[in-house]
Amino acid sequence: MRRRLACGSGLMLMLNVAITAQTVQIRQRDPGWSAPPGATSKANPLADRPEAAAGGRKLFLQRCSVCHGEDGRGAGRAPDLTAPDVQVQSDGALYWKITGGNTRGGMPTFSFLPELQRWQLVMHLRMLAPDSGSSR
Amino acid sequence: MPSFRICVLALLFSCSAADRAAGQERAYFVTYDHYLEEPGNLEVAIATTTGRPKNGHSVYTAPWVELEYGFTGWWTAELYLEGVTTRGEGNGFTGWRFESRFRPLKGEHGLNPVLYVEYENISEASRIQKEIVGAGPLPAGPIAELQAERAHELEGKLILSSVVGPWNVAENFIVERNLSASEGVEFGYSVGMSRAVGTLASGTSCHFCAENFVIGAEAYGGLGSTEGIAGGEQRHYLAPVLRWHVTARTTLKGSAAFGLTENSDRYLLRFGFAYR
Repeated sequence: MRRRLACGSGLMLMLNVAITAQTVQIRQRDPGWSAPPGATSKANPLADRPEAAAGGRKLFLQRCSVCHGEDGRGAGRAPDLTAPDVQVQSDGALYWKITGGNTRGGMPTFSFLPELQRWQLVMHLRMLAPDSGSSR
Repeated sequence: MPSFRICVLALLFSCSAADRAAGQERAYFVTYDHYLEEPGNLEVAIATTTGRPKNGHSVYTAPWVELEYGFTGWWTAELYLEGVTTRGEGNGFTGWRFESRFRPLKGEHGLNPVLYVEYENISEASRIQKEIVGAGPLPAGPIAELQAERAHELEGKLILSSVVGPWNVAENFIVERNLSASEGVEFGYSVGMSRAVGTLASGTSCHFCAENFVIGAEAYGGLGSTEGIAGGEQRHYLAPVLRWHVTARTTLKGSAAFGLTENSDRYLLRFGFAYR
C-alpha cells in the first residue's frame, strides 16, 4: 500500500512540476512554418458573408484566446496575431496553418473544426489587424 | 480509504495548478484520434462505464478519473484512477494507468499516425473497459476476490486518424502484454467515425446550437492473442456516441455500446464530463 501511495504521489508531483514549467513557457514563431503554394491561393468561401466573422470571434475566444489573448496580441504564451508578418499572409495560408497546426511549435491542429468554422476564424483574424480591411 | 483521500487531494492540487484553456475533447470513449491535448492544458475528466453482463452476474458501474496534460504539441500524457461498484458483489478501487501519446509528424496529413504507450497497474476487478483485448468474458465474482489478483500490463497502440470531409475517421490497433502472467501478447482494435452537427458558428453564445454537438459511432473489441485467436470467445461492441460542448471549458459525452457476441455484455452505458 505504501509503495502504491508513494508511486501515485510521485506521479502527481511530476505532473504539477510540468504544469508549472509549461505555464511560464512562451512559444516563439517557427520561421520554417509556411503554407505550400497550393494552400496559399485558396479563397475564403465566406468572403461575401461578412456577418460570419461574428461566429469567428466567438470561436476565437473559445479556442484561441487562451494562448493568443482576447485581442490576439499574444498574452505571453503565443505569437501576436496582429503583427504585420501574420497579417500579410493570405487567407489561404492562415486557413492552412489553423487547420494543420504546428506540433513542433506548439500550435494545435484545428482540423476537428468544420471547414467553414476555420474560415470564420480567418475572418476574425483579419478583424484583429490594427487597420482591419478586406480579405487578402 | 486514506489512499482515496490522498488521490482526491492530489487531484484538487493538480486542478489548482492548471492553466485554463479550451480545446478538443474527442467524442469517442475507446477510440483515439490524432488530436492531442494543447500544450500547457490540463483536462480533468470524470467518466463511468455501466455494464449489464449476460451471464446473470450483477450490473456494475466503473467510475474513473482522468487527468490529461499536454506537455508539448507532440506529447500528451494521461493518468487514470479507476474503481468499480456492483449490486451485491462489492466495490473498490481497481487501479491506475499512465499513458503517453506521441505525434511523430508535424502538421496535418491524409493519415495522421500517433504512437501510444500505457502502463497499467490494475486488478482483475477492473471494469472501465477503456480498451478491449484478447478473448473471453470479464472475470466474474466478488470484487474483493478479484482485487487480490493484480495485473501489471504494458500496452501499445498505433493510432491512425484522418479528416475525410466533415468526418473524423480513426483506427486503433492495440497490443497488450501482461507482465504478471504468461498470457502471450493480446490484440484488440477500435475504429470510430464522428462529425460536428453544425458547420457554421453562430455569432451569439448558445448552449444548444448544432455547432456544439458531435455525433458518431465507434466499434471495438478483442482479437485474441498469440496463444490463440479464440474467435467464438471474443468480445465486440458497437456504440453510437454523442458529445456536447456545454461551455468553452466543459464537455459532456455519452455512448450506449451494444454487445455483439456471446461473451460481450448486453450493453455498456458510458458517460463522461470533462473540464479544461
